[in-house]
Amino acid sequence: MILFPAIDLKDGLAVRLQQGDMARATIFNDDPAAQAKIFATQGFDYLHLVDLDGAFAGKPMNAAAVECILAAVKMPVQLGGGIRDRATIEAWLGKGIRRVIIGTAAVRDPALVKDAARAFPGHVAVGLDARDGKVAVEGWAETSTLSALDIARRFEDAGVAAIIYTDVARDGMLKGLNLDATIALADAVSIPVIASGGAGAVEHFAEVFQEGRADAALAASIFHFGLESIGELKQQLQAAGIPMRWPL
Amino acid sequence: MSVAIVDYSSGNLHSAAKAFERAAHEAGLDQPIAVTQDPAAVARADRVVLPGVGAFADCRRGLDAVPGMVEALEEAVRRRGRPFFGICVGMQLMAERGLEYEVKQGLGWIAGDVDRIAPKDPMLKIPHMGWNTLNVVRPHPLLEGVTLGPDGRHAYFVHSYQLKPGNRADLIAEADYGGAVTAIVGRDNMVGTQFHPEKSQKLGLALIANFLKWKP
Repeated sequence: MILFPAIDLKDGLAVRLQQGDMARATIFNDDPAAQAKIFATQGFDYLHLVDLDGAFAGKPMNAAAVECILAAVKMPVQLGGGIRDRATIEAWLGKGIRRVIIGTAAVRDPALVKDAARAFPGHVAVGLDARDGKVAVEGWAETSTLSALDIARRFEDAGVAAIIYTDVARDGMLKGLNLDATIALADAVSIPVIASGGAGAVEHFAEVFQEGRADAALAASIFHFGLESIGELKQQLQAAGIPMRWPL
Repeated sequence: MSVAIVDYSSGNLHSAAKAFERAAHEAGLDQPIAVTQDPAAVARADRVVLPGVGAFADCRRGLDAVPGMVEALEEAVRRRGRPFFGICVGMQLMAERGLEYEVKQGLGWIAGDVDRIAPKDPMLKIPHMGWNTLNVVRPHPLLEGVTLGPDGRHAYFVHSYQLKPGNRADLIAEADYGGAVTAIVGRDNMVGTQFHPEKSQKLGLALIANFLKWKP
């Protein structure tokens, strides 16, 4: 299993929000590239980046910070936020982003995702951020009428590399991931599911892998605030029978 | 015609069963798919699928823990020659031995051992998890109509170990993960994939449909 540490970028800084509320932002590192290096040194396998301003603006807004991170670490990086057209997808992949994550455009312009997934197999993921089961868009400022399952089914067989499923209400709250929704998603589509939003303890990861049938998990707060070291976390999950990525 | 997916408490069979049902439906094949723990059902099945996740030895013990299951597999696959599809550790179990944590006997249907993958690039971590294209070593009916090679379709891998066939003739396809890793093996009426066809979208469904039509 892969555990992705997340860095959310706002005004060039690494921040953490609670439930997606920009007014509840905690700055935890004013040098995102340094934070990325810390994660790399700690032994993470794959970095998850969100351009928060970009998600609201509909276009990249923290490109300089993203490029600093790409220059600072060798581990693969996936990026979401403000990626709404083919030119932006190609520009990011050209700059070394391993996987682009399409959220709002996956709801509004599914053809963009399908075409890009065909052109760049393994490099296009869909981000589904759900509030009460309905997919939130535009930096979570708006909620669509579509369910996460409706959107996910659109992309079955489209060659999408992964679906990153985030429960907005749980995000940043450290109370556990949304198991039922993760199970429903993993059962509905064959696309690998990355569960996100709310991980705050080892057990939360263990249950989302074992019961939730997730293929990977993503978390921010638990790693930023040093609540768990990745080495111990991996060892504990491995001991629980969940194969983890090694070496550190 | 019936397809038996062997249930020996080795992980979630739901997605595998669903993928087989869907491939059968889309290919217009009237083959009921049954997930079963019953050795008698496996012994008389027309096609047999053996999934498996986790460590080799654990899976072997799981198989042995179902009374009569290994004998049922031998009956269906070896004596009656029914088409067999091993998935992930289910494929690895076709080997003579697994070397994961301890040396454990496999079913011995394909010569060779299951050993740890060792990517040449130290940046490449274990397990290998992700999407890879497949390079065909030997053509096989399961690959019919599937675009492979560097520009071909992708398969979804999650593994730390691979089956290293003792006979090169049993190797059907490889993937590259810091060197070649075994992706598909096959001999006679038996075939196995290291990757997960049920998670591999179009490539996976095409392989499953080909398996359901296969007359070895």
